[in-house]
Amino acid sequence: MLDATSPFEAQTAKVDGRAEISFAHRGGQTRLAHLYQHEPLRVLFPAPANGDIPQAALVTTSGGLVGGDHLAITITNEAGSSAMAVAQAAEKVYRSTGEDCVIDVDLNAEDGAWLEYLPQETILFDGARLRRQTNIHAHPNARLLAGEVLVFGRIGRGERMQSGLVRDAWKVSIGGRLTWADALRLDGDIVAQLDHPAGLGGAASMATAVYVGPDAADHLDYGRAFFSNCEDGVIGGASLVNGVATARWIGADAQILRKSFADYWAGLRARIMGYPARLPRLWHV
Amino acid sequence: MSTEPITDEALYRLMAWLSPGFPVGAYAYSHGLEFAVEDGRVTDEKSLCTWIEGILSFGAGATDGPLFAAAWRANGDAALLEIAELADCYRATAEMALESGAQGDAFLGTVAETWTSADFAHHADILRGQGRPVAYAIAVGVAAADAGVPLRATLIAYFHAFAANLTSAGVRLIPLGQVAGQRIIEALRGPVSAAANAAMQTPLDEIGSAGALIDWTSIAHETQYTRLFRS
Repeated sequence: MLDATSPFEAQTAKVDGRAEISFAHRGGQTRLAHLYQHEPLRVLFPAPANGDIPQAALVTTSGGLVGGDHLAITITNEAGSSAMAVAQAAEKVYRSTGEDCVIDVDLNAEDGAWLEYLPQETILFDGARLRRQTNIHAHPNARLLAGEVLVFGRIGRGERMQSGLVRDAWKVSIGGRLTWADALRLDGDIVAQLDHPAGLGGAASMATAVYVGPDAADHLDYGRAFFSNCEDGVIGGASLVNGVATARWIGADAQILRKSFADYWAGLRARIMGYPARLPRLWHV
Repeated sequence: MSTEPITDEALYRLMAWLSPGFPVGAYAYSHGLEFAVEDGRVTDEKSLCTWIEGILSFGAGATDGPLFAAAWRANGDAALLEIAELADCYRATAEMALESGAQGDAFLGTVAETWTSADFAHHADILRGQGRPVAYAIAVGVAAADAGVPLRATLIAYFHAFAANLTSAGVRLIPLGQVAGQRIIEALRGPVSAAANAAMQTPLDEIGSAGALIDWTSIAHETQYTRLFRS
């Protein structure tokens, strides 16, 4: 199955991509306070739509990740700032010849800040090995909405993920205190876990959204109402665990899941912050 | 297969603590199974057995097992408290947090009142002093270590009790006959043993669940209209 392996894998050194972005509230507005980027991560700053908050768009210029690659993304919204980071495109994780691809995401929201971290899908090719750790550090008065969408195989080509590794883990700390942790783990006979009626039930895709904020409990009703009207092809649910508002999707159809995820996200940001109930244009490209 | 000897005293306490009569209220928790039955995902002996096998293999078994083993092995108060913190946080849904925390607190309290052990009294004190619920897996792991129960025997008994409790919930919910229930418990001997192996071998930074639909049924159970169970 050579075509599933990146053509670059054999020739290039392992990558160590970095993006560090800080926003600060200065002179009545949110402005970029710090930026560091290292290939293959690049950060663009598209003009936000009317009435919306500043955006950082994360771009992986290598076109995909292979075993041994490492990406580290750190986003810090300083006190009182409001900004979002959004992925420019879906992230592809190619078949690995053995090593793991490691992605570390650190999201920091300080006093009174609003931070949105909105990636697009991570597409796991058959044989991909991904370890991703997303760490959230929120001030008790900060609000932070973060998510992940995983697709198990190149569904469009009829490929399913059958082997490899996924460990996609979250840790949430509020005011320096560990509050919630979670990890998806698919390992060994991945098809058995994807097909198991108590596992993924044959799903092609799954997603998670996490909202941390002093008002998290006020939005459980929104999540419950949202998921009571899911389209065919996706199921989901919302829960409030240790004060963290979580939402989960399991999708037989990855496209329907993606749309549901976007609708939930748009509705929640509007409800919490009064921002436009839509996602950045590039999320829909 | 374990060949580590277990003393009469340790075996006796292990059986008492993990018997269905021990007052942690285990019978009140279904781990989302009540909704799985309501939703037609678990309908008979075979599907119930498969569902519980999933919970043991890649659901709570795969996260609580290694946390349990880490608590049993914890060397020093600081290490134990760090494991307990992680165990409190590793809860996928509100009702799974309730199921674990309420049973853990009840277990610690009852053991502390019925068994005179300076080590255990100290561990119970520091765990309760954290200001967090104590995960059931942590509470049992610590008590077993303090009582000199070998780790593997404790894990087998703990997962057996968990599987038997879920089987009993399923037998009532579907409903099934008592013999069918016992056939399921016999069939889960292998998965319980495998979960114990995984618990002993998996480091805490590798734990994780593939039980997305288990979690989903637990979330759906929060708003289930007619409920017999607390989870």
